[in-house]
Amino acid sequence: MLRIQHVSKTYPNGTQALKDVSFDVADGEFMVVIGLSGSGKSTLLRCINRLIDPSEGKIYWNDTDVTSANAAELRNIRRNIGMVFQQFNLVKRSSVLTNVLSGRLGYANPWLSLLGIWPQEEKDRALKALARVGIAEKAFSRADALSGGQQQRVGIARALMQEPKIILADEPVASLDPVLSHSILQYLEVLNKEGITVICSLHFLDLVHRYATRVVALKDGMKVFEGSAKEIDRAKFKEIYGEEAQEVRAASF
Amino acid sequence: MSQNRSPLVAGVFSLLVPGLGQIYIGQRYRGVAILLGTLVAAGMVFWYGDPLWYFVPALIGLWNVWDAVSLARAGQTRPIWIPVLAALLAAYTIGWQVVGIDFSAADADRAMQILRPMLRPDFVQERREVNSMWVPVQVPCGPQPPQARREDGGKSALVMPDCAGVNETMILNVNGMWPDTDTNVVWRTPIGDPKMIGENEAEMLVVRSDASGVVTTAIHVPSTALVAAPDPTLPQEHRVYVYQYRPKGGIELSYIGSEVLNGALITIGMALIATMLAVFLAIPISFLAAHNLMGGNPVTYAIYVVMRTILNVLRSIESLIIAIIFVVIVGLGPFAGVLALAMHSIAALAKLYSEVIEGIDPGPIEAIRATGANWLQTVRYAVIPQIIPPFTAFTIYRWDINVRSATIVGFVGGGGLGFLLIELIRVNNMQGVSAVFITIAIIVTAMDYISAKIRERLV
Ligand SMILES: Nc1ncnc2c1ncn2[C@@H]1O[C@H](COP(=O)(O)OP(=O)(O)OP(=O)(O)O)[C@@H](O)[C@H]1O
Ligand SMILES: [Mg+2]
Repeated sequence: MLRIQHVSKTYPNGTQALKDVSFDVADGEFMVVIGLSGSGKSTLLRCINRLIDPSEGKIYWNDTDVTSANAAELRNIRRNIGMVFQQFNLVKRSSVLTNVLSGRLGYANPWLSLLGIWPQEEKDRALKALARVGIAEKAFSRADALSGGQQQRVGIARALMQEPKIILADEPVASLDPVLSHSILQYLEVLNKEGITVICSLHFLDLVHRYATRVVALKDGMKVFEGSAKEIDRAKFKEIYGEEAQEVRAASF
Repeated sequence: MSQNRSPLVAGVFSLLVPGLGQIYIGQRYRGVAILLGTLVAAGMVFWYGDPLWYFVPALIGLWNVWDAVSLARAGQTRPIWIPVLAALLAAYTIGWQVVGIDFSAADADRAMQILRPMLRPDFVQERREVNSMWVPVQVPCGPQPPQARREDGGKSALVMPDCAGVNETMILNVNGMWPDTDTNVVWRTPIGDPKMIGENEAEMLVVRSDASGVVTTAIHVPSTALVAAPDPTLPQEHRVYVYQYRPKGGIELSYIGSEVLNGALITIGMALIATMLAVFLAIPISFLAAHNLMGGNPVTYAIYVVMRTILNVLRSIESLIIAIIFVVIVGLGPFAGVLALAMHSIAALAKLYSEVIEGIDPGPIEAIRATGANWLQTVRYAVIPQIIPPFTAFTIYRWDINVRSATIVGFVGGGGLGFLLIELIRVNNMQGVSAVFITIAIIVTAMDYISAKIRERLV
């Protein structure tokens, strides 16, 4: 159970990206965060694993207070939370295998990992993770030699290495075409069915309808909606996306 | 916008001050550009002082009035290439005359004198064996001169008489040399200074041995035999040497050849050490000169600005000039060259490195932090893979540049090939110069190729 309580974030330049946001995420949910560009989705996801420190409010994961964890505790929390990014955020010049292995850094022997030495057992785990996302044969390619969809699968494999309880996915399909979008989200869906909580920000409403078990909508940093995807009717949609917005759909296949 | 402006006023304005008419019409930038252009052209022509070229500013002035009037009348500009072409023509011709280009100064005979020996670079020579002998002679004569006679290994040499004064003539006779072989005869003073005793004391005395291996010749005591003597009246032992050479098959490195090789090693080493020195200092400096790391607060930003300024100033000073300063400080030799190259390289590398750091993709850093990695692990897995390949590429590139610069820096006393080259030019040894040129060309081409190959791999 993840509890987000009265979280606000003001950036040093004065931008208020989150304003008093509260909601809970039960274990096993596929929670989708929606909202216009700039509404604070990325900021919210990064507050959960404290890549960004919230200015106010508390975040609890089970009984651990994430917001007041010290450095060592925080690393311990982070290694239970996998993260997938819109831009994949792979180390482009490193091999796919190294990228996947780096997901294991929170568990690895720090000194050996600094030397780049990994036990065979971890390498096997990485190859298995790659096999799960269907690109085992790419293990020894350079990451930037892969297509966008393949890179995002490496990103998922990297998150899998953490044996995560939660996966945060920040617009994981925004730079992919609709077919690939579904294939990536299906991987997340499978993981979700296996018991991993997924918190994912998305742009396209039909993807939201298809995958979300619950939806939180942000507007100008405030939570304007929480509920199931079905409850987002025309009026709600206008409220979240503004009066002029047209519903954009990813082509359905 | 220009309809309600009077063409007459615009023309008069432009006649008084070039560009003013255009400004009056509202074309502010055009006006200012015309004013500045006219001033520069006029300044150049008046500075050169040849009235022939006064027509250029005059032409620009006239064109400018025409332009202003037609702008006011029809809102249409006149082609800017007319004044530009006139100004370029003047600049080019005046520049030509100022530089003093004079093709007749290139004398073909003189050129051939220099180029012909260069076709035979002095790298290697035939392997030779030497047959030598010497005999003592007293100069000037003392009361009881020792016999000018010596035997050694089946050879015997004698000079008659046993002693002589400067410029006097004597007879040299050597037995047991190789038969029918050219023999060099050299005078050596007591301190071992060789003196040539051929024609005008400017050439080697060469005598051919006869069929039975005897060398006989008249020699004269060189006029400079006593210049280094503390007391020219004191009798001292000088020596007359004879040398014979014959090939013994195969070739060996010539003296110049070995100097060139040695110089090449020094030059490459200088470049290598200078580059390494520069890398060690440039890495920490580059972090201080990276905007994304230092931009955060006013103190670090001030450090950043200071660093950038120092680097820019350093980089703008040619390493040749820095080398001259270091030669004065630490003396002639490769060390001065190394310091000069390092100085310039620090500035250049720190700038390149800091640009790499500024270009780091923050995404992977964020992703690695999110896995629960600690700070060192994040640097190792997200930062280093991003900066090491470009750092290495730039470093190798710099080494490549430094090899070139090291030869130039040698000119002013920095050691290595450049130093050897300037010495060889001074003594007019064009065969040696040619050997150095070829070596430089080979090294630079090889470095170029290797560094390009490695960089290709890295990027
Ligand atoms: N590092 C930062 N410093 C200052 N302001 C920031 C920073 N990051 C984001 N913001 C601002 O905070 C607000 C929320 O940004 P955020 O990236 O969380 O939005 P988002 O919903 O993820 O948008 P998008 O859909 O474009 O990714 C925006 O106004 C943004 O300009
Ligand atoms: Mg975002």
